[in-house]
Amino acid sequence: MRVKQEKGARRRFGRTLGRGLGLGASLLTLALAGCATPPPKSDTADYQAYQQVNDPLEPTNRTFFAFNNRLDRYVMKPVAKGYVAVTTQPIRTHVGNFFTNMGEPGRTLNFMAEGMPTDAGSSLMRFLINSTIGIGGIFDPASALGYKETDTDFGLTLAIWGVPAGPYLYLPVFGPSGARDVWNLPVQYFASPTVAAPSSTALTDFGYTATGLHLINTRAGLLDTIDQINATALDPYATFRSLYRQSRASQIQLIEQRDKQGASAAPAAPQN
Amino acid sequence: MHLRRFLLGTVIAAPLLGTMAAAAQAQALSADDAKAFISQSGQQLVAIVNGGGSAADKATQLRTLVNQIVAVDQVGDYVLGRYINIATPAQHTKFQQLFHQLLSYNITYQIKAYQGVSFTVNSATPQGDGVLVDTTITTPGKAPADVGWDVAEVGGKPQIMDVIVAGTSMRITTRNDYASVITDNGGNVSALLTAMQNQINKASEAQD
Repeated sequence: MRVKQEKGARRRFGRTLGRGLGLGASLLTLALAGCATPPPKSDTADYQAYQQVNDPLEPTNRTFFAFNNRLDRYVMKPVAKGYVAVTTQPIRTHVGNFFTNMGEPGRTLNFMAEGMPTDAGSSLMRFLINSTIGIGGIFDPASALGYKETDTDFGLTLAIWGVPAGPYLYLPVFGPSGARDVWNLPVQYFASPTVAAPSSTALTDFGYTATGLHLINTRAGLLDTIDQINATALDPYATFRSLYRQSRASQIQLIEQRDKQGASAAPAAPQN
Repeated sequence: MHLRRFLLGTVIAAPLLGTMAAAAQAQALSADDAKAFISQSGQQLVAIVNGGGSAADKATQLRTLVNQIVAVDQVGDYVLGRYINIATPAQHTKFQQLFHQLLSYNITYQIKAYQGVSFTVNSATPQGDGVLVDTTITTPGKAPADVGWDVAEVGGKPQIMDVIVAGTSMRITTRNDYASVITDNGGNVSALLTAMQNQINKASEAQD
């Protein structure tokens, strides 16, 4: 009973918070640009489809999408191709592991805020094991020890609190987001271990280098994927929007599933 | 991380982009049958990709295989979604024809990138009218990707209905992609047909 009341209160709080955050994010984007024209309400099917897509800022979003594509074509993609030419997949995997590890304290905090103590503990153990035995996070021995990688962020924490996804946002440089998920950006920044540490020039330099490397490593892993989507989708903007939305919904579902199963249940065991 | 993983999986599953069917036509299928079907289909696919012959030969073989293992017509109808009621019979026929062609193009796109591909069938879980078969696909030089195959019995034999990568359904993604083209053009199905035709022309120019 008490748990139910707590969950209800959490959802009510989430809805109120959601309205506030959604309004903030929408105002921010509205200040920058124009809106899509909704179809008339009398046209039920079209109006429903418009509501479902929930992308009232589509014209602005498409402008940023075009901007990011240009940035990608002339900067990110050529650099990522060069990076792939001088590295091997194992190196790129280690680099990826390192940045996953850097994000672990942030995930621990978010799992705590979501009321998922087992996931929070698992994430903390991953950080402790991989930062030490895993040599600063470049290896991932924690997975082999049973602490599998689980993903969360502040956007998902808000979702667990009951904040609705809100309108879709496509951000310059950062890419797909939404009125709820956009709040993840400042929170993720402050949850990073390098920001929490005392400031120094070396740390600042490390921060810039690390961010650059993280971006290039991620982009390198997506070279074929993005080419494929751009080549096969009729409307790449709508395709990325759909993929982003489905991916977020799936992440929320996974967190809630683990919560229901007592957080201990891993994905179904292979039944070969 | 998750975004990266799902996008990575997407490219590996992309050869079957849009490989889905209307669940209404599905009948019950046992988990073991679905697993055996995916295992066999996967082996055939891998044999073609890793086998000898020119890229054009491989593309032809892949097209034949995909027509056998995927319920392309039903997939097309799912992707067209609610616009199936708006399209004229002629437009519907044209859509199906273009959809078959586009699917072939999507399958054969970047065929070289899959050289050395291997896959493992993990588990099979009954889901709705079908069975979701989980596999892990490994391509040299790339991180392994988990890909789910939604299989159901259509017309008396197992057929692939959907491809699921990190929670993203290919059939939903394609439906949203196509719907966007139609809504951006005032709800005209003919705009979608034109866009599909343009895409096919672009693809055949690139392959020449």
